[in-house]
Amino acid sequence: MIMSEPNPIIDPNTPAGMLEGDLVKQARRGDFAAYDELVKRYQQRIYATIYHMTSNHEDANDLAQESFIKAFQALPSFKGGSTFYTWLYRIAVNKTINFLKQRKNRQHMSLNDLDFNAEHDPDLMALISDKTPVREVGLTELQQKLNEALLKLSEPHRMVVVLHDVQGVSHDEIAEMMNCNIGTVRSRLFYARQQLQGFLAEYINPA
Amino acid sequence: MKHSDNNFKTLRQLLKLKQHEVPPPGYFNTFSDQVISRLQSGEGRAQSSTERIADQAPWLAWLLQLFETRPGVIGGFATSMVVLLVIGVIISERPDSLPKNILTATADSQPTPSLAAVTSPDLGGVVQASGIVASTNPVTSLQPVTTLFGQAGGSSGLFQAASFSPTGSGN
Repeated sequence: MIMSEPNPIIDPNTPAGMLEGDLVKQARRGDFAAYDELVKRYQQRIYATIYHMTSNHEDANDLAQESFIKAFQALPSFKGGSTFYTWLYRIAVNKTINFLKQRKNRQHMSLNDLDFNAEHDPDLMALISDKTPVREVGLTELQQKLNEALLKLSEPHRMVVVLHDVQGVSHDEIAEMMNCNIGTVRSRLFYARQQLQGFLAEYINPA
Repeated sequence: MKHSDNNFKTLRQLLKLKQHEVPPPGYFNTFSDQVISRLQSGEGRAQSSTERIADQAPWLAWLLQLFETRPGVIGGFATSMVVLLVIGVIISERPDSLPKNILTATADSQPTPSLAAVTSPDLGGVVQASGIVASTNPVTSLQPVTTLFGQAGGSSGLFQAASFSPTGSGN
């Protein structure tokens, strides 16, 4: 029997217990404690998106930090037309795409380790055992090939796949983050998946 | 869309692998502290000029970025600017490139006067009647001499007096 831990009581007067809107207001006034809480809330998602785009931990670290710094600088211009989360994502997306355009042909992978759960993920296990029985491909090799294939996509196509298929962001939100319409998001996603399927045919199509 | 999702089912299974990639242990414990310390050291106070440009004029930032990433483009851009400048100078120095007077262009029967003839007494009447200043500058030549409230001579070619009579007043 699994014992569930009681929910910790969070004081609404501390940054951890405050609503996003209130944190944004305080951060705009220069309150670093409030902004620290905002960073903590979104650091994992922002880092992950940038990492999946760059396939490089050091670059993702730099870009994630710079995105949060840029967001703090630009807070006075945040009008609240979208959520802070979407607005922050837009900054990170633009920063990453600009960085990748400048770094073209100088891509260097520095992949993160796979967590313990990867070896127990039924989808991944089924993929390895059923689809590639002859190759006896390991997860690390698959990770390498997957990242190489992703890096072959153009930045906007890669971004859509990362946001939707890896991060689980909806089409609507992606459209807002990438400043394009939903139709464009859908067509980019379809094209990117087609491309990836071609690059990874050896690993996802049974021999 | 459902159909296409089914087509890519295996690919999406494979993409789940990306969700298991994690940064070094404890990485996020210090991340926000690093951001805040960078902000407190002064990085958050003011945007750099490049960032300000990127915010206010994205097209200019895009152009600057293009120059940075492709040095050949800036050479081409500079060359085209010089060529345009040279063409402009050559055209402006040609004697037949002087702008024709707009007023005389409408009177096809009259011979095209020279620049000096525009200010001659013969045309002066036409010029004054239409309330237009003769000038070699085609933009300023269209400016009326008189103001709306102080028209010299009462009726001008540019303005027409409007009259209004209610339809029901006579019946």
